[in-house]
Amino acid sequence: MSKKNKISLPEAELIKAIRNKERIGSEALYDMYSASLYGVISRVIQDEELAQDLLQETFVKIWNSIGSFDETKGRLFTWMVNIARNLAVDKLRSKDFRNNSKNQDIENSVNLIDDQRNTTLNPETLGVKEMVNNLKPESKAVLDLVYFKGYTHSEASEELGIPLGTVKTRVRIAINTLRKLFN
Amino acid sequence: MGDLSQSERHEVELMLEKHPELRYELNEIEKALQSYAETHAIEPEANLRDKVLGTLDIKEEASVKTLPSVNTSTKQNNFYKYAFAAAVALLLLSTIVIINLRSQLSESHQRIAFLESSNQKFSSRASYIEKELSDVRHTLEVYQNPEDFKMVELKGMPKAPDAKMMVAFNPQKEMVMIDLASLKMPVTDKKHQYQLWALVDGKPVDLGVFDMKADSTGMIKMKPVKNAQAFAVTLEPMGGSVNPTMDEMIVMGSI
Repeated sequence: MSKKNKISLPEAELIKAIRNKERIGSEALYDMYSASLYGVISRVIQDEELAQDLLQETFVKIWNSIGSFDETKGRLFTWMVNIARNLAVDKLRSKDFRNNSKNQDIENSVNLIDDQRNTTLNPETLGVKEMVNNLKPESKAVLDLVYFKGYTHSEASEELGIPLGTVKTRVRIAINTLRKLFN
Repeated sequence: MGDLSQSERHEVELMLEKHPELRYELNEIEKALQSYAETHAIEPEANLRDKVLGTLDIKEEASVKTLPSVNTSTKQNNFYKYAFAAAVALLLLSTIVIINLRSQLSESHQRIAFLESSNQKFSSRASYIEKELSDVRHTLEVYQNPEDFKMVELKGMPKAPDAKMMVAFNPQKEMVMIDLASLKMPVTDKKHQYQLWALVDGKPVDLGVFDMKADSTGMIKMKPVKNAQAFAVTLEPMGGSVNPTMDEMIVMGSI
């Protein structure tokens, strides 16, 4: 349980506050999304210290480049996840951990992270997490590569050793499952 | 899902423009993925919050805003003060100029009025002089050629027994002149004039009108006539009449 009360704003107000560089915008942004973004970053960068640095970098970048966010093109979260993920992936490539992380067994690494890390104890998502865990391993694997690690479909098909068409199908199925799950 | 890979993103944006209902679909997908991501959320260390927020460029409300506003408001105030002073000065100047101009204009009008009346006086004097000149010329003509002119004396009629008048008649030149100095007739008023008639073959012929004034001199040339047997003067309304008013006959005389 956190000691402070977490600040939360509706999306439109949050975007406006960030655009106006208001203090409340920064606090709400952190309280609402730091955990999710940290989770995304952690799927790419396992090292805690590095992940924390990246989280900071992510927030700075979100804050400073809010001008390039266009709400007609998609949701705020999607835009932020892209920033987080890209920073993390770039960092990964620059440090030349490429070989190591790519050759890791995808399924194992996913489970490893879930077991070892201080995953959120948000009661809302607890039940959902169990359901998510019931996703087929193929779906989880594909989502992990494409959504969290920023692989293109072709890169994912290469990585998983499956045809491009199959990747696309699995992605579609995964999203449909998630939609049913969360609606 | 096209959002996740660069190359497909542009395609998606084009599709969204064409089919707005796809926006809803896309939003739903994004929501689902967001929820999925949230299930993988990891709470960072507590002390990271202040550290991260500290590095963000936040606009503080209190001090930053007032400084610029003080500067600009002072600048604006000064501008308005000067602008106002300038406007007032201009107004005063304009007012003075206008008052000046008005008095000049009034003066000019007065001078024009004066000049106009002077001009009128001169005009009337000039025409008077012209008439006098004409009269003198006529008189001169008679005196220079006495043998050509017959002097006809017109005697007073019962209406004005003491009236007298001399008419100079030159049949060759068909000239008829009245000698004003010889006029002894009642003074005409504004509504009446004397009219000279010539009796030609028993019929009266209009020779023109004239006024009787107190001390007129000179001769007036009347209308021409050839075969006059007699002359007469009647009192007619101003401007004369077509036919003589017989009972207003003042003087008459035969050649």
